[in-house]
Amino acid sequence: MKKILFSFSLLLSFNLAKAQDLVKKIPADAFTVATIKGDNIFKLMFVKDFNESFLGKKLLTETSKSLDKNFTSIEDFGINLEKNMYYFNQLSDSITYNCFLIPIKDANKFESLIENKQKKFTQQGDIRTMIMPDSTSIIKWNNNMLYFVTGSISSSFFADSAKSARYGIKDVRFLRDDAMVTDSVAIDSAYAITDAPMVEVIDAPPVVEKVKVQKKPVKKNTKKSVRTKKAGKKKTTKKAKKTQDDTDFDQPVALATDTAGNMAPDDVDEQYDTYQQERTEQDAKKKRLALVWMTAQADQIFSGNYRSIETNKSYTESLDNKAIAELWVSSLQDAYNAISPTFGSYGKAGLMKGYGSLNAKLFMDNKSFRISTGMELSQEQADSYKKILNRKLNKKFLKYVNSEKALGFMSYSIDTKAYLEEFPKLLKQTYGSFMGAKMDEEMDLGADLISLLLDEEAVSKVIKGDALFVINGLNTKEVTYTSYDYDDDYNQKEVTKTKNETLPDFLFMFSSEDTRLINKLIKYGVNKNLVSADGNIYKVMEKKSPIDIYFQIKDGIVFFGNSLAEMQGIQNNQYSSNKLSKMHKQLLSKNNFSFLFNAQNLVGKVPASEIGGEETAKKFNSTLEKMGNVYMKSNPIKGRLVSADISAEIPNGHENALKYLFSLIENAAK
Amino acid sequence: MNLKQFYKLLLFIVLIPVLSSCFEVIEEISMKNDGTGDVTLTINLSQSKTKVASVMLLDSVQGYKVPSKQKIQQELNEAVAYLRKSEGISNVKSTSDFTNYIATISFSFKDVSNINNITKNILARQKIRATNSSSYTYNKTTKTFSRKYQSIGTAKTEFNKLKAKDKAVFNGATYTSIYRFESVVTSSSNPASNVSKSKKAVMLKSSITDLINGKINVSNTIQLSK
Repeated sequence: MKKILFSFSLLLSFNLAKAQDLVKKIPADAFTVATIKGDNIFKLMFVKDFNESFLGKKLLTETSKSLDKNFTSIEDFGINLEKNMYYFNQLSDSITYNCFLIPIKDANKFESLIENKQKKFTQQGDIRTMIMPDSTSIIKWNNNMLYFVTGSISSSFFADSAKSARYGIKDVRFLRDDAMVTDSVAIDSAYAITDAPMVEVIDAPPVVEKVKVQKKPVKKNTKKSVRTKKAGKKKTTKKAKKTQDDTDFDQPVALATDTAGNMAPDDVDEQYDTYQQERTEQDAKKKRLALVWMTAQADQIFSGNYRSIETNKSYTESLDNKAIAELWVSSLQDAYNAISPTFGSYGKAGLMKGYGSLNAKLFMDNKSFRISTGMELSQEQADSYKKILNRKLNKKFLKYVNSEKALGFMSYSIDTKAYLEEFPKLLKQTYGSFMGAKMDEEMDLGADLISLLLDEEAVSKVIKGDALFVINGLNTKEVTYTSYDYDDDYNQKEVTKTKNETLPDFLFMFSSEDTRLINKLIKYGVNKNLVSADGNIYKVMEKKSPIDIYFQIKDGIVFFGNSLAEMQGIQNNQYSSNKLSKMHKQLLSKNNFSFLFNAQNLVGKVPASEIGGEETAKKFNSTLEKMGNVYMKSNPIKGRLVSADISAEIPNGHENALKYLFSLIENAAK
Repeated sequence: MNLKQFYKLLLFIVLIPVLSSCFEVIEEISMKNDGTGDVTLTINLSQSKTKVASVMLLDSVQGYKVPSKQKIQQELNEAVAYLRKSEGISNVKSTSDFTNYIATISFSFKDVSNINNITKNILARQKIRATNSSSYTYNKTTKTFSRKYQSIGTAKTEFNKLKAKDKAVFNGATYTSIYRFESVVTSSSNPASNVSKSKKAVMLKSSITDLINGKINVSNTIQLSK
């Protein structure tokens, strides 16, 4: 019984903790969500350690100075450091909101931060609101959370006079006739909006029920705009009152032509002054409107009922409770549509069709930093990619990597045949709409033509689609050069001297089932003296090349490399597979794409004389010493998600990646 | 990917990014007692030939355009043509070796003062400002050979404006001047200069960076036995 009770209470407390997470407050239509996970961060580093770190100290002293207080810990800011902080934004055709949600632990502490700056805030119940002096952003908080919102009005939305007119805003242009036309429209509809503000508007930002909030500023707007108007004032007022509830656009236009006709020719300067004045006025109106919208949006966050982002499957699936920071961006297609409505038909017709949401996560643990990125594809695309990526690296490649010496490698494996077959489809999906519907047929034709010309099957036999590039260390090579000696008369005598040059030994290989074509090419090369043969090893006869390049075909693998010794070793089967570390083996054999750079294997290997002196060499080596393995890999496609990871291991002797990062910053600042 | 692109890709990976290279500039003047003589100028990049060859395959390096072999040859030819027209200069020859990256220009002069300003003018034709002003005189009666050298202050400031990476190109580069005479040298005023065993030649070797920075002055007055 006790156990049940205990587990029940545990469940309850878990739920409670979850309920308090501010993610609940993020609306479902948020476009971007970024999270900083306080609890995970301060698991890696105690608050005390942070306060004592270079960054922490700097932060505390700077804020202490600017606020004239004495902070000793970041806990003094009143923020709940064990909870998640969020940033999100919401896009619409008329306004973009940038919002922060920060968990509060001690509202009093937070208030003491701002009080000193002599900024006033209002309080309603336990909700406190402060409008920033320039009215471009609002801070609102209660005892649990702090909300900061700043909104920016979309200029393209208000460039549309019909739309902007609804909000009593006109698109002022420095062009008399135009200005007149929009003027009258503006006035007219400004009135229309006074009593029924925005309720009818569907494409404008949300939350319009609260008439009270919006009424005041809008009224003000109209008054002002009337005041500035001289000609046609009475007329418009009347008309406006008539059309209070429906916006009638025909009338004012007719009126506009009237007033324009009455205008006497103005002095250009005067006109420009008026223009400037009007512009400032309109900008102020926009600003006020933005504030109204922001206020409504902030109220909504605190007291509204709406679907939260938690109902968005794409978002919730992107989360990982081990990450210390996360970023999620809703679909790329949406991004194109939202950011550039000016793309018009292209955007709407589905440019970037099939590319869904993006996410990135940052992990830090006792071994490494890791950034994991992912992108959702449409089912169609995911299927294409699955076919293309249905190949593993040739296992025979593995024995040519020597983990003890390798400076780095890069590998990829795709199915050439699937690639050739799927590529035209992918191209069409991504850019098809950009070409316009008319091009559909041509694109289809093009795809068919490629299929006709290429025998995918045959090509995929020559180049199977997997390749590995590896640098198995540096090699010192003796090179000769010309210099001079001088005799007793200082007469010049040309002499040949030698010196050592350090160059990386690279090896590049790809699989080929059908080497007939390549063999023919080699034969052709030999006949044309482009290639010289030494047994089964060939050398490229390129005079201009500063390095020698050799190649050979063995066991269905085509090798390229600049070390003859290595080439001979391959030819004589001198390579065994026991030199590959487990980690490298996994990286290479489990992923379609992998990249690794092992800085440790480069430390002290390049002679100082070749990097430009002792000093540079010292710096070079000490930088390398601080680096662990850096590697990248692609993950297998899961469902519709393609993803890739970049990791950087931390050197031994550091507790975890976060602390290592802080120590790096501290060193850099010294 | 064609072969050239493949090479370029390789070079970016293979080439060690710092282009510190060794090259030498040698200036030889053989004076006869009557005041005539021969000059040989040599630029030898062979110590860095791997790097030079690599760079030559690239279009530009560290933001500088890399001249093609043809362009270099053309400019060398232009310098030769200019010399042939210059007063008192004869027997102009040039060699270029694009395997070892060595180029020379040699010519004879009637009077050593003929060669004053030549370098400067050649450089000016290539739109390069000279880094120094240098003039030679030979007095037949006193048998004094002298070189007046003045590094130009702006050269130093210009040089110091270069990025460390670009400056590194000049690390290890040397400038050598050799003067040979028919008579025995009795004194050579520049303490950095050496007189040969035969006492008939003077050599001065310095690093190019020191020369540009004005740390070393190659002015010299050489007195020959009468």
